Amino acid sequence: MNPLRAIWEYLKEISGENAYDKYLVVHSTTHPGRRPMNRGEFYRWRQNEKYNNPGSRCP
Amino acid sequence: MIRRYGVWVGVAIIGAICWGVLALSRGETVNAGWLLFAALASYAIAYRFYARFIQRKVLETDDSRATPAERLNNGRDFEPMDRRVLFGHHFAAIAGAGPLVGPVLAAQMGFLPGTVWIIVGVILAGAVQDMTTLFFSMRRNGKTLGQMAREEIGPVGGVAALIAVLSIMVILLAVLALVVVLALAESPWGSFSIAMTLPIALLMGVYLRFLRPGRVLEVSIIGVGLLFLAIVGGGWIAESSPYADFWTFSPNQIVFGLIAYGFIASVLPVWVLLAPRDYLSTFMKIGTILLLAVGIAITLPAIQMPRATEFAFNGQGPVFAGPLYPFVFITIACGALSGFHALVASGTTPKLIQKESQVRFIGYGAMLMESFVAVMALIAATTLDPGVYFAMNAPATVLGDTVQSASQAVNGFGFQVSPETLQDTANNVGEESIVGRTGGAPTLAVGMSAIFSGIIGGPALQAFWYHFAIMFEALFILTTVDAGTRVGRFMIQDMIGNIYRPFANPSWLPGNLISSALIVGAWGYFLYAGVNDPLGGINQLFPLFGIANQLLAAVALTVGTTILIKMGKLRYAWVTALPLLWDASVTLTASWMKIFSPDPVLGFFAQRAAAQEALANGELYGTAQSADDVRQIITNSTVDGVLSILFALLIIIVIADATRVWFRIIRGGQEPDLSEAPWEESRLDSEGQPVEEREPVGTGR
Repeated sequence: MNPLRAIWEYLKEISGENAYDKYLVVHSTTHPGRRPMNRGEFYRWRQNEKYNNPGSRCP
Repeated sequence: MIRRYGVWVGVAIIGAICWGVLALSRGETVNAGWLLFAALASYAIAYRFYARFIQRKVLETDDSRATPAERLNNGRDFEPMDRRVLFGHHFAAIAGAGPLVGPVLAAQMGFLPGTVWIIVGVILAGAVQDMTTLFFSMRRNGKTLGQMAREEIGPVGGVAALIAVLSIMVILLAVLALVVVLALAESPWGSFSIAMTLPIALLMGVYLRFLRPGRVLEVSIIGVGLLFLAIVGGGWIAESSPYADFWTFSPNQIVFGLIAYGFIASVLPVWVLLAPRDYLSTFMKIGTILLLAVGIAITLPAIQMPRATEFAFNGQGPVFAGPLYPFVFITIACGALSGFHALVASGTTPKLIQKESQVRFIGYGAMLMESFVAVMALIAATTLDPGVYFAMNAPATVLGDTVQSASQAVNGFGFQVSPETLQDTANNVGEESIVGRTGGAPTLAVGMSAIFSGIIGGPALQAFWYHFAIMFEALFILTTVDAGTRVGRFMIQDMIGNIYRPFANPSWLPGNLISSALIVGAWGYFLYAGVNDPLGGINQLFPLFGIANQLLAAVALTVGTTILIKMGKLRYAWVTALPLLWDASVTLTASWMKIFSPDPVLGFFAQRAAAQEALANGELYGTAQSADDVRQIITNSTVDGVLSILFALLIIIVIADATRVWFRIIRGGQEPDLSEAPWEESRLDSEGQPVEEREPVGTGR
C-alpha cells in the first residue's frame, strides 16, 4: 500500500469513520437476520455511549 | 552478543554524549538538538530494556491469556483494537495542555532541572505508572482506579481516592481555564478566533448528525479549514477593522463567559458542542505536535536560558515560589509523572487491548511520547530570550504597566531586556503588549511562533503562528474543560445518587442541572479567585494543581505496589514502590512547605497571617492596591491552605491504609485475594486475527 493511502486508512480507523462498516460485519455474524442500525442511528448511539460513560483525560 | 546489543551500545553512547554536552558544555548557549537527541536516546533504551524487564519479569504478561477485549467483545466498549490505532486513541486521551504548560513555568529555574526530571521521571515513574495501571486494570476487566483502590486496599483507601479524583478535577479545570483567560484577555485576535470555534463546532455537529452522519474525517477537514479562516479573520479584526474594541475583553468578562460556556456545554447533548470540538482539537493537537517536532528538528534553535538560574536554589522565583526540590517535580507533572493518566489507563483503554504484551507499547510507549511533547514545550520556552521570558511570566503586579517598568523589574531578577525588545516582540506577534502574559500559554506561543515561522513564512507570518499556537492551546484546554466538567458532573450525580436515587440517572434533567451547576460553580470559584488574585493567580494555584495531580499518582502507584505484593512479586515491588516513595516525598514536602513555611511568599498560612496583620494595621500587603485586595488575599490563602492540608491528609491515609495491607500479607497473616478475572485461553493471534482450529503438532498427542 502506498504511504498516503496507509495514512488515510489509519486516520479512518482512528477517527471511527469506518466503525459502522465494522459494526455491520460483527452484526451479521452475531445477529444474522436482524435488521442492523443505519449509519445515522449507529453514530448517534455510539456517541451517546462514549460520552455517557466518560473516562478522563490528562490535563 | 555484540550483534544483538551493538546497536544499543551505539544509542547509549549517542545519548551519553548528548547528556554530557547538556550538562557540561562551556559555550554561551547549547543547541536544542542535543536536548532532543538526549531525550530520544534515553527513551529508546528505556523502552527496549526497562519496559521489557517490567513486561517480562515483573508483570509476566501472557499472550495466551485472552484479554477482556476478546472475552467480552461486544463491539462497543469491549473490542480488540489494532495496537497502532489504540496507541493513537490512548495518546490523544492522555496528552492535553498539561505537558505544554508545566515545563514552561518550570523554565524559570533554567533548562536542566526540567529536562532531567521530564526524561528520568518518565522512564522510572510516569511510564511505569501508566503501564502497570493499564495492566492491572486489564486483568480486572477494565476496572477504574477508584474501584481497584477499594478492592485491593479497602474502603478507606477507596473513599480517599474518590475524593482525590473529584478535588483534582476541580483544581485542574480552574487552572486550565485560568490559562485560557490569561491568554485571551485584552487580545481581540485571540478572543475572536476562539469565539469562532463555537459556530464551527455547531456546524460540524449538525453536519455529523443530520447531513452526513458519521463522516468524521471530512467534517474534521472542513472544521480545520474554517479554523484557519478564523485565525486569519482574527488578524483582520484586531488590526484593520472597527470591531477590535468589541472583541477586546477584560479578564473578568472572559471568566464569566467561560463559566457560562462550561455550564451550557455540560447540560447540552454532546453532539452539539462537545463531540465536534473533540474531533477538532484531536486533529489540531496531533498536527501541531508533529509540526513542532519537524520545526525544532529543522531550525535547531539555540537554548538561551541558562542551565540553572539562581531561582533553582533560593526559591524566590517570580513565576512560582519555592526551591527546586520539591517544586520542579510538582510543576512538571504531565510529561514526567501524571496521576491523571491512571484514570485513562484504567477504564477505557484496557477494554480495547488485543494482547497482554501490548501494555508495553501502549502504556509505556504513549507516555514516552507525551514526555517528548513536554521536552518540545521546554525547548520552545527556553529558546526565548530569558529577559522576554521573565517579562512575560512574572506577575503583572510586579512588572508594572509599561515596557519600561517591566524592563526594570526584569533587571531586578538579574536578567537584561530592553523596553524596545519587549515592544518589538509584542509587535511581531500582533499583540499590544506581552508584559505579564502569565499562564505559560502565551510564552509557549511566542516560542512556537519563532520556530514555525522559521520553517514556513518567515517573520511576516509570525503573528499568524502566534495566534495559531494560542488557538491550538485554548481549543484543547476548552475541550478538556467541556469533557472534565462532564466527568465531574457524572461523578457528582453518581455520589448523590447513592443517597437520593433519581440523581443516579444521568438523563434526569434536574439532576443534570444541579450537578452541572455544582461542578461549574466549584471550578468557577477558583478561576474567579485566581484571576482576581492580587498576588497573581497562576503562581498560587499551579502548585496546588501539581500537588493534586501527584497525589493521584501516589494513589495509582500505591494500588500498583499492593497488587504486585499480592501477586507474590515482593522482590519486584520496588518498580512501583520507589517511584511512590519519591512521589510521596515530593508531594508531602511541597504540602509541608505550603502549609508550614514561615515565608509568606511560600506558605499559605504565613501569607494569611501577614496579610491579616497588615489589614489590622491599616496597611497594604504585597502588591495589593486596596484593603479589599488584602481581604481577598486572606480568603484565597485560607482556602488554598485548607486544600493543601486536605491533599496531604488524603495521601497519608491512602499510603497508611495500603501499608497495613502490605504488612499483613508479608507476615502471612492474610491470604492475598487477587480480584483478577480468571484465565481463559486466547483465540487471537498476535495480529488480532482469530486462530483457526489448531492442528496437533508433532506425534506426541
